[in-house]
Amino acid sequence: MPAALSPFRPRRAALLPALTATALLAACAGTPSSPPTTLTPTSATAAATAGTAHTTYPLTLDNCGFSVTVKAAPQRIVTIKSSATEMVLALGAGDRIVGTGFPDGPVPADLAAGAALPALSDKVPAAEVVLAAQPDLVYGGWESNLTAEGAGDRATLAGLGVATYVAPSACKEPQYQPDRLTFDDVFAEITEAASILDTGAAADELIATQRAALAGVTPDTRGVTALWYSSGDDVPYVGAGIGAPQMIMDALGLTNIAAGVKDTWTAFSWEEVAQQDPDVIVLVDATWNSAEQKKQKLAANPATANLTAVKNQRYLVVPFAATEAGVRNVPATVDLATQLAAVDLG
Amino acid sequence: MSLHLDHLAWSVDGRVILSGVDCTPPRAALTGLLGPNGAGKSTLLRLVAGVLPADSGRAVLDDVDLLALPRRARARRVALVEQETVAYGALTVHDAVLLGRTPHGSRWGGTTEHDHDVAHHAMEEAGVAEFARRPLGTLSGGERQRVHLARALAQEPELLLLDEPTNHLDVHAQLDTLAVVRGLTGRGVTVVAALHDLNLAAAACDHLVLLDRGRVAAVGSAAEVMRPEVLEPVYGVRCLVLTHPETGRPVLTFSPRDGSRSPDAG
Amino acid sequence: MSLGRTAPGTGRSSLTLVLAAVVLLASMTVAVTIGPAGIAATDVWQSVGHHLSTLIGRGGPGGPPLGPLLDGVVWELRLPRVLTAAAVGAGLAVAGAVMQSLTRNPLADPYLLGLSSGASLGAVAVLVLGATVLLPVAAFAGAVLALAAALGLAGSLGTLTPARTVLAGLAVSQLCAAGASFIIFWSATNDSYREILAWLMGSLARAGWSAVAIAGVAVVVLGTGLVLSARTLDAFAFGDTAASALGIEVGRTRWSLLTVVALLTGALVAVSGSIGFIGLIVPHAVRLLVGAGHRRLLPLAALLGATFLVWADTAARSLFEPRELPVGIVTAFLGAPVFALLLWRRRSSSQDLA
Repeated sequence: MPAALSPFRPRRAALLPALTATALLAACAGTPSSPPTTLTPTSATAAATAGTAHTTYPLTLDNCGFSVTVKAAPQRIVTIKSSATEMVLALGAGDRIVGTGFPDGPVPADLAAGAALPALSDKVPAAEVVLAAQPDLVYGGWESNLTAEGAGDRATLAGLGVATYVAPSACKEPQYQPDRLTFDDVFAEITEAASILDTGAAADELIATQRAALAGVTPDTRGVTALWYSSGDDVPYVGAGIGAPQMIMDALGLTNIAAGVKDTWTAFSWEEVAQQDPDVIVLVDATWNSAEQKKQKLAANPATANLTAVKNQRYLVVPFAATEAGVRNVPATVDLATQLAAVDLG
Repeated sequence: MSLHLDHLAWSVDGRVILSGVDCTPPRAALTGLLGPNGAGKSTLLRLVAGVLPADSGRAVLDDVDLLALPRRARARRVALVEQETVAYGALTVHDAVLLGRTPHGSRWGGTTEHDHDVAHHAMEEAGVAEFARRPLGTLSGGERQRVHLARALAQEPELLLLDEPTNHLDVHAQLDTLAVVRGLTGRGVTVVAALHDLNLAAAACDHLVLLDRGRVAAVGSAAEVMRPEVLEPVYGVRCLVLTHPETGRPVLTFSPRDGSRSPDAG
Repeated sequence: MSLGRTAPGTGRSSLTLVLAAVVLLASMTVAVTIGPAGIAATDVWQSVGHHLSTLIGRGGPGGPPLGPLLDGVVWELRLPRVLTAAAVGAGLAVAGAVMQSLTRNPLADPYLLGLSSGASLGAVAVLVLGATVLLPVAAFAGAVLALAAALGLAGSLGTLTPARTVLAGLAVSQLCAAGASFIIFWSATNDSYREILAWLMGSLARAGWSAVAIAGVAVVVLGTGLVLSARTLDAFAFGDTAASALGIEVGRTRWSLLTVVALLTGALVAVSGSIGFIGLIVPHAVRLLVGAGHRRLLPLAALLGATFLVWADTAARSLFEPRELPVGIVTAFLGAPVFALLLWRRRSSSQDLA
């Protein structure tokens, strides 16, 4: 009898790194507490912006390489992930939401619809669960939400008459992924979402308000370097060069020490951080991994305890949900600008 | 239906194991294949069964060159029982014996009633019918040996090749096995058995073939082969031949060659 | 000496087979009605009946009895999934049993020759690197290439013995697994981990009607071939020498049977990822019931494997609603204690396969 070499090992060997990575990536759900809001339009100037004409249906568009046809304004929407939910709410279509899933945090107060939104699942809901809600549109914040293992395969859902839409900034195919996300990309997303939902006027107002707010943010001129730190104790997972973190840091006048990595987020190294010794650290605040917890760990970890930013407690805090492209980016930027101005770099 | 082995040779990795073996085990008789370890007994049996490909030579049974036959056809005529090297404890005795029917019947089909009859008969003959439903793992070594014999019997061979069939058996079982084999020869089956126990060979075999380092050293009846001048050069021991008072067959005792005391000296 | 004797236990094993088939059909019928969407069982069967009668051209007037979406749940999600589970479970069980016999290794499973690792490599290429190939095609290609490498390696060492086959398969598996791990770590972003993890663990979430066709055809065609080779497989029980003496062309037969098993496994892995434990456990469980003769073992293993996976998948998609687990996790959770139980029984009954 040959030695009892288990044939399982090969599979487990493949599994182990994936599982470790998944543990690392546990930073994918949670509920931070967040002050920033979406700045619902109130000013008259915002209202003066000409509303776009109503959407003509059927509307066909190319979404992450998948051709989507929307036959009529969606009336029963299922949203997955906060970015999608909040987008629909900000566009005034909250009453059409029949189910939400995988929230990254509580909906900010000014967006919350009067009644609580029906929650399908605190993680990605299964396809059957989504279909049981009888939606005509499933709006996902990540492309992986719309797979057979998740809320449903896009082609299958389309065959059943359910339109699907993925936040364009989250497309994985290189030709669809924005290379260096900009606020114009975010506003374009708002516009596209509005065209699907037939809420053109609300979009115009929202965008005008947000543009104004953004214009009020002056980039810091002190030449401040920063690290956008999301998670990871041994290996930090940080905002890199082409995603929302970079976009926000550009508006703030912060120099991202990980800007050289051509990715939205990246695994970095504490050695590199120590070498660059950033002036401030932006902490992503999530319920499973709060900014406070991060501060404590940074102070306790010998690799990071001696960083200038850690010793002097030069931290900026941003809620997790605002770090994905969506309606919260501008308010977060405004809030971060206020925090940054208060930091003493002396 | 004599078996005629004609110049069978086999070598591996440059080493010659068998260098041209010629002999003619008579039909319907028990031929003992003798020789020290490494003489090539097992190899010879494997060559005749076609399990090893002979480098040269023929094995002719009843005018049929066995080695030229397709494998299945040969398996219908020749059965080989070796020392059990691979155990398969989960198999029941009945299923194990039924394997002997493999060369007969269809490759794709199942077993027929006839197959079961033959298997049952074989089990009875080998004395293992009482274990029919038991898994092999629950039997003793000797009992398993008899199951393998039954499997060979189920093949209904014309030529039965046995490699050390009495190894694991106690005296009683040894005699039983030899009785089974004699029954076979009585039915016309030619049997060639490699034996290490020279006394058993002397007592049971009609014909003997003595191998020494890959070639035939002697052939003949027990009286002809079991002589000191024949055995001593091959086995390298001193040999004393007596005559059994009842059967008249040779009885052998051995002692070391160099004159040191033999194990049973006083 | 014919006493009109029938094969001992034929009656009993036929009965077992019929019983197993009935259990499988019943399981499938019930499984289709279970799911988070909360559709009444009678509505489910009505919907299926409506579709079936439409298929055979005797459809009644009007559309499906349930609304289009709920009907889609039944006909596009649940039913193909249950059918695929049955086919994959049956195929894996048969492949595992044959692999255990061919390699004389009780720990063998269908993925032994690097098939699952090779398929994983193919799947990773699609799911992580974004290769523009259909996932099942890439997985199958990966499996076949790994098989070719394993058999080539084993064959180059000399004649194809069981030990060599196992070791060569192991070497190829490790290589493919390393490759897949590397790609995952290097290229995967954020959420693509979930997809590849689901695939690595084995998941039936993607099973549509095309999966039913692939798995079904593979099981019926290749599985039947294996069942017909039952006698040949039995002959391997006592080693290559004994098999050869029984008239089997050992080398050629082993090659061809391994290839059939690999093709079958490759097709199954292509549609469902590498679902574990079925190919390992079910054959052992069935041997405990009906013994090791392949004529009884293989069909019963197929039925039992099918039933097991139908229920495991039902659990995977319903027990944790509103979420769904990859079915491979469920089979591992169920399989590991069953495996331990089998080992324990084997110790105490000294039926050693070694």
